[in-house]
Amino acid sequence: MTDSAVATDESAKGGVRVAVQKFGTFLSGMIMPNIPALVAWGLITAFFIPDGWTPNEGLASLVGPTIHYLLPLLIANTGGRMVYKERGGVVATVATMGVIAGSDFLIAQFNATLPAGENELGQVHMFIGAMIMGPLAAWVMKQLDKLWDGKVKAGFEMLVNMFSAGILALIMAIFGFFILARIVNWIMDILSLGVSWLIDTGWLPLVSVLIEPAKVFFLNNAINHGVLTPLGTQMAATDGKSILFLLEANPGPGLGILLAFTFFGVGIAKATAPGAIIIHFFGGIHEIYFPYVLMKPALLIAVVLGGATGVGTNMVFHAGLRAPASPGSFIAIMAQTASDSYLGVILSVILSAAVSFLVAAFILRLSRKRDLETEDALAKAIAQTEANKGKKSDALSGLAASGASAGAGGTQAAAATASGTAAGASPYASTGEASAGAGGASTPATATPDREIKKIVFACDAGMGSSAMGASVMRNKIKKAGFDGIEVTNLAIANLDTSADLIITQKELTSRAQMKNPDAIHVSVDNFMNSPRYDEVVERIREQRSADGGAGSSADSE
Amino acid sequence: MSVLTPDRVFASSPITDKDEAIREAGRQLVGAGAVTESYVDAMFDREKTLSTYMGNLLAIPHGTNEAKDEVLDSALVFIRTAAPIDWDGNEVRFVVGIAGKDGGHLEILSKIALVFSEEEEVEKLLAASDAAELYELLGSVNEE
Repeated sequence: MTDSAVATDESAKGGVRVAVQKFGTFLSGMIMPNIPALVAWGLITAFFIPDGWTPNEGLASLVGPTIHYLLPLLIANTGGRMVYKERGGVVATVATMGVIAGSDFLIAQFNATLPAGENELGQVHMFIGAMIMGPLAAWVMKQLDKLWDGKVKAGFEMLVNMFSAGILALIMAIFGFFILARIVNWIMDILSLGVSWLIDTGWLPLVSVLIEPAKVFFLNNAINHGVLTPLGTQMAATDGKSILFLLEANPGPGLGILLAFTFFGVGIAKATAPGAIIIHFFGGIHEIYFPYVLMKPALLIAVVLGGATGVGTNMVFHAGLRAPASPGSFIAIMAQTASDSYLGVILSVILSAAVSFLVAAFILRLSRKRDLETEDALAKAIAQTEANKGKKSDALSGLAASGASAGAGGTQAAAATASGTAAGASPYASTGEASAGAGGASTPATATPDREIKKIVFACDAGMGSSAMGASVMRNKIKKAGFDGIEVTNLAIANLDTSADLIITQKELTSRAQMKNPDAIHVSVDNFMNSPRYDEVVERIREQRSADGGAGSSADSE
Repeated sequence: MSVLTPDRVFASSPITDKDEAIREAGRQLVGAGAVTESYVDAMFDREKTLSTYMGNLLAIPHGTNEAKDEVLDSALVFIRTAAPIDWDGNEVRFVVGIAGKDGGHLEILSKIALVFSEEEEVEKLLAASDAAELYELLGSVNEE
């Protein structure tokens, strides 16, 4: 009875976490594709501003407009597209222009009231405005289009299409100008006040108490792209650098954990840690160290102290990055370090790694004996991590596989995870609700798919031939199996959006499809006509549906 | 214009290789007024990036996404070869050339897919004695 109570509690927490993660995925979906533009801006700034590497007055004029207009508009466009394709993107971009102009207008008005000689307010860059307005404007467009879908007189579609979007863009821009700009200026005010208070009073390192544990639970993207990137970019525009870019991206704490396992770990964890260091520190994939922390939650203390040390070091040295370092690789961080900050940034990485290493080593030494007895904890932790993320990451599956071979002996759980990967339809097949089992004591991770399959999309290059035929065959199989409420469609790969739950592609195209929609389950086939994969998918849906029913009834019976 | 007409079903084409098959399928589609000449080049382009071999002796040459503007109307051409031809290392007896405009071809294409997903149906297609019988087999699919 107690067990089931715990399980329910965990799944409730899981629901919130999944929701936050989805939100985080959405935010990073808006920001990530535009990171190259932020990098370009960072480099332009580094080279051409008056105290840059190669000052150039002409080229330095790129800096202001790029950050004030181009970057927020790019983000708005991406956000709009995510909600409603190109059409959403266009409306979102125009509407965001309204937010930018509105904010400038408010600030100009405020500055006009200042007595001569007072410090004027600087521009506020509408990153958060773009992240709100982009998806919002596109969503409104989508709803409006639904209203008159199919009701427009033949021959007038083009006219209606163009003018409805144009007029809505105008209205949303006005809304942005008068209302959203005010709200965003206010939010930015509060946030920057909060941050500068934390910096002035020296409390900023405390932020690590929130950031480091949240990272390990895969909220890293939500924090970094949702909060720190916009605020940091704002700071960087006035100061030329920001410490905020380093709060989450500093690879030091993770490095310390992995080093501690390299020297003081046991079994698989010890064997895999050195490889993980390369992926983490140079590749910037922090996800790889999360399972090591999850397998021994006391290590959270190590990452928090390590993180706080890094932040403290950067504060003391007034160090910062010019632009976000993404991924959080040491190389990316060096490339974005402001020219006066190398010492501080490098020290912050070294010191945070050292502190995290020492604390983690201490914790590991304390529990070493017990660990030797329960060597397979890592395998479970990997299963947990994958469940947290709701999908397998390649890096983690590789880790599980190498762990299984390294730990040869009593590591059945790891072997189960690894073979689960091999048996899964693709490396991205989700493991999902296994979380409840893996989180509990001894239940091995099973490959029950977490994402409910409601929409299956076949994608090929043109969306004209192969995918249409594959979809017909699949639709027929679904119909024969008697499942209702499952939509099977086909598309050109370029038109894939994030709405599909399961995407079937020829194996040559699967990686492209994964880029378009990383959250879906991906299935590769090499024969569209009678692939055995189709029956596996049908089987999977059958299991999913019976599992849903089963879970409900067992909960009732307890 | 009907998407697949009896005069574009061929029961024993003498073509012997893949290039010839694509050229022939393209020629038929151009002849039907469904595509422009440059669509045929796009069919070859598409084949270069990704084979249109579908499995079960079937290949479905068609253009690329970029060549969509070269499609004037939806049309299919159905060719059964007299002898097996080599399609990127796979054996092919049926070549279905596709021109799709606004999805007009999807209904018949979906019928063809369902026929080819059943091996007995493929046997029947192989055994069909002439073009009329092939057309019949393709048309009757969704009446079950």
